[in-house]
This record gives sequence, C-alpha cells and structure tokens, in this order.
Amino acid sequence: MNDTFDPRRFYLLFKKVTLERPIQIIGVMGLILCFTVILYSLVLYSIDYGSAQNLSFIWGLAGGGTVLSAFVFNYFNTNAAGAAYLTLPASVFEKWLCAVLIAGIFFLLIFLGFYRLMDYCFVTAYHNGLNHDSPLYKNQYDHVYIYPFLQNQVVKKVFIIWANLSGVMLVGSLYFNKVAIVKVALAACVLAGIIYFLNLAVASLFFKNIDIAFPYYTVLIKVRSEVGVINLPHIGSFIVDAFINVIIPATLWITALIKLKEKEI
Amino acid sequence: MIRFDNLSFGYSHKKMLYNNLTLSVENGSIYGLLGKNGAGKSTLLKNIAGTLFPIKGTVYVDGIEPRDRKPSFLRTIYYLAEDVYVPALTIKQYQALFAPFYPLFSQDDFYKNLRELEVGIDSKLNKLSFGQQKKFVIAFALACNTKILLMDEPTNGLDIPSKAQFRKLIASAMNDERIIFISTHQIRDLENMIDKVMIVDNGNLLLYSSITEIGEKLCFKTVKQIPEGANILYTEKMLRGTSVIMENINGEDTAINLEHLFNGVTENPAIAQKIFPIN
Repeated sequence: MNDTFDPRRFYLLFKKVTLERPIQIIGVMGLILCFTVILYSLVLYSIDYGSAQNLSFIWGLAGGGTVLSAFVFNYFNTNAAGAAYLTLPASVFEKWLCAVLIAGIFFLLIFLGFYRLMDYCFVTAYHNGLNHDSPLYKNQYDHVYIYPFLQNQVVKKVFIIWANLSGVMLVGSLYFNKVAIVKVALAACVLAGIIYFLNLAVASLFFKNIDIAFPYYTVLIKVRSEVGVINLPHIGSFIVDAFINVIIPATLWITALIKLKEKEI
Repeated sequence: MIRFDNLSFGYSHKKMLYNNLTLSVENGSIYGLLGKNGAGKSTLLKNIAGTLFPIKGTVYVDGIEPRDRKPSFLRTIYYLAEDVYVPALTIKQYQALFAPFYPLFSQDDFYKNLRELEVGIDSKLNKLSFGQQKKFVIAFALACNTKILLMDEPTNGLDIPSKAQFRKLIASAMNDERIIFISTHQIRDLENMIDKVMIVDNGNLLLYSSITEIGEKLCFKTVKQIPEGANILYTEKMLRGTSVIMENINGEDTAINLEHLFNGVTENPAIAQKIFPIN
C-alpha cells in the first residue's frame, strides 16, 4: 500500500472534503464570485470600467482567495473535528494536495473563468449599447475593452499578493485552531506594520527627505517640489523579485504541508 | 499490540503529564481507562491515535509509530473523541463519504448498530440531539471494524437504556485480534464490560491489571467492623456497615466494585502499587 499517494484514496478524499462541508468550500467560492459581480457593478456605476475591472479583480482574487484559503483547513475548531480529520486514513500529502487544489488551482481557474465571462458580458453590453452612427463611436468602443490577464501589471501584482496571502492563511489556519482567519489577519496586519516602519526607519537612515517608504516598490523622496522614485540596483531588484514572487509563496505553501504533518490536537 | 517505551508527554516542557511510561497492551481485550477529569486519559488515547506526539520515548502500535499518521496505520485504528463532530449530511451520505476509507467497514453492522441504539436514519446528522449524534458515531466507529478502537468518554450524553445497548454492542464487537480502549470517569458504565483496568491520575499509571487478577487479589465486601490486621485499600461508610476493599488473603470470590476500586487506588496509590506492581 502506498502511504504517500494513492489515486483512488485521493479521489475519495477530495470527494469527502468538498461534499462534507459544501457550504464552507463551495458556498464561500460562490460568495466570492457574487461579491466580485457586486463590486464590479458598484464601481462601474460610480466610477468607470477601468476601475471596476481593477478593483473587482484585486478584491475578488486576492481578497476572496485569501478568505477561501482560511477555510480549507478549517477543521480544528473542535477537538472532535480536528481529530477526525487528522486520523482519516489518507496521507498528509494527499490532505495537503486537496487544500492546494481547492485554494490554489480550482479557485484560480473558476475565478478567472467566471471573471472573464462576467467582464465579457459587461463589456459586450456596453459595446452593444453604443450608437454606431456617432462620430465618437470608435473612441467610445476602444475606451472599454475586455480585461487582459496577460501583460497586465495589475494582474501580475494581484497574483503575487494572492499567492503570498493565501500561503500565509494556509499556514496560519494550521497554527491557530479557533477563528484562524481573524487571528491570521491580525498577525498579518501587525507584520505589515512592522515591515513598513522598519523599512521607513532604514530608508530614513540613508535619505533625509523620504516622502513615502512603502516596502520595496514605493520608496519616494522629495527633492524640492519634485518627487522621485528610488529603485533598487538591477541585481538587487532581481533578488527581491524572486523572493516576493516565488520563494516566499512557495515556502509558505510548502510550510503548510510540514505544519500539517506536525499538527497536533 | 500497543507498546509505550519510556513515553514522556506534557503540554508544556516544564510540567510533564507522563514521565517514562513503559507498558504493553495485548490484543483481544477491552481496556477500561479510568481517571478523574484532567488525569491524562484523553492524552494517552491521543498518543496512541497519533494526534499528539510524545515529547520523549515512543508509542508503537503493531510496530508502527502513530505520529507518522500513515494511511496503512490509520485504517486500522478509529479514535472517537469525547465531543462529537458530525457534518450536515444524512447517514447515507456520511457512510458514502467516510466508509470507503475503512476496508473492513460493514454496512450490515452499521445499520444493525443504528437499530440497536435507536438512531433514526432519515434526518441530517447535525439536526440530531447530542445523545443521538453520539450514538451515531459509536455505531459508525464499531462498524469500521478497525483493529484498535479508542473511545474517549463514549457514554457521556447517553441515556440509561443506550448505555446498556452500548455495553452489548461493545461485547459483540470484540474478538481476539481487537483492542478496545474506553476511557471514562463514569466508572459504573464500564462494569461487567471490561477485561482490564487502567487507572491514571496526574499522568501516573496507578493500576494496570485484569479483572481476574483484581478479583484474585482484592476482596470487596461490606462489614460491620473492619478486620484487624487486614491490608485495607479503601473504606466507605454505608447504611448497612462499612464497605471495604482489602487484600484477598483467603481466596474469597467477591463482586468487583469499580467505583470503590477507583477511589481506593487514587486515594492510596502506594498500597495499590504494592498489591499490583507495575513493571
């Protein structure tokens, strides 16, 4: 018997995990999609298409994905539920893989598919509503377009934020047994605050006229009435990018596997 | 067989609950694990199930360390926690999702157990009362037919008829290969059911003996006057005299009173250790 991975056992586990708590997994996913539509509509109504697309994508993927990640290991609220999960005859790797598939792969595919469909409907409705005979038709038509997932800096950054925050939430939900989502969110806020002020302190040591010192991407200095951006040297930027984009999220998601193996209740 | 090799466990490194516990638990017996609240009964069961890890020493279950939580091990053990967890599913849905993980699961046994315990099979599990939920998880645990069954306070929340049914089911589920551990502080619930008794207090194993050995070594009776020179483990004033547990030097055959035995062992651990030396 393979104690690490068995396809049939994994199928049974995946079925059990999704159907055992349909409200938590499928329901939360549904809520995230509803929230995304509502946010898109509200921002579209009050601002415009570009903002609606960006904000709904940011909050839907990064915000919603983080919330969903907090639920995939949500078994440890009670001793009985936690023990039932830990002693269920499936390997730690299979249990972890289930969580990764739900919070990582399936959520991403469902969200992106849904977002594209939703965006397509809104944009098509806008295009169809335009007056074809208007001299401004071409400009109005080109002003609104389907949100591109590729070569889009916002999308790239949202992916990175989602990968990091979801990883934090996965690990955090294994550290904290009760109301993990709140505790992890608080811990993440405290950590972000510490990083921000540490970054500000370090930046202030080198430059006297710091305007904003948001970690890494936005360190601005004031020079008379102008504001300038301080960029890292190329190699430094590459290293930091590699850390933020790949190493930290990968470490967090793998740490969840290790923590699950060591989990006691 | 379950073997504890110098097991040390504590929820903090400063205050250990178990210190260098060494003992073997053989197949084919029902073990009653008795202790006060917080005595360390659940902790011991969780170390066997692999949901808690020893700080020092090792637990082996048929040569396997539970802490690895390998599927080949987990399918041979069922741990029933004191509180109950049931998802919002019907009994049929629960069976369809959970039973396939246990290769020896018997549907016939499951429905027989449910009938015996009088659990309705139509409603959703989370809508049942606590007692009904408890009976449902007991029925499922027994039907899994795992080699080791660990039950933490299984009779909590059961009504009196259900406790009797529970005892019957446990007796019928037992075989020579199986180990059933039942931890409880409601000692009377285990009377006439267990083969071996383990009494723990503050993480110390005070007594580990078979019912037969207890019957041979101790005498339980009610007397008007306590016999002089007798090695007394426990006394309790009753309406009709004094109930005593004393060393059985005349080979008398008396009925074991588990509650008195428990009180005697926890109040006089030194005397108990002398009569029932451990290791």
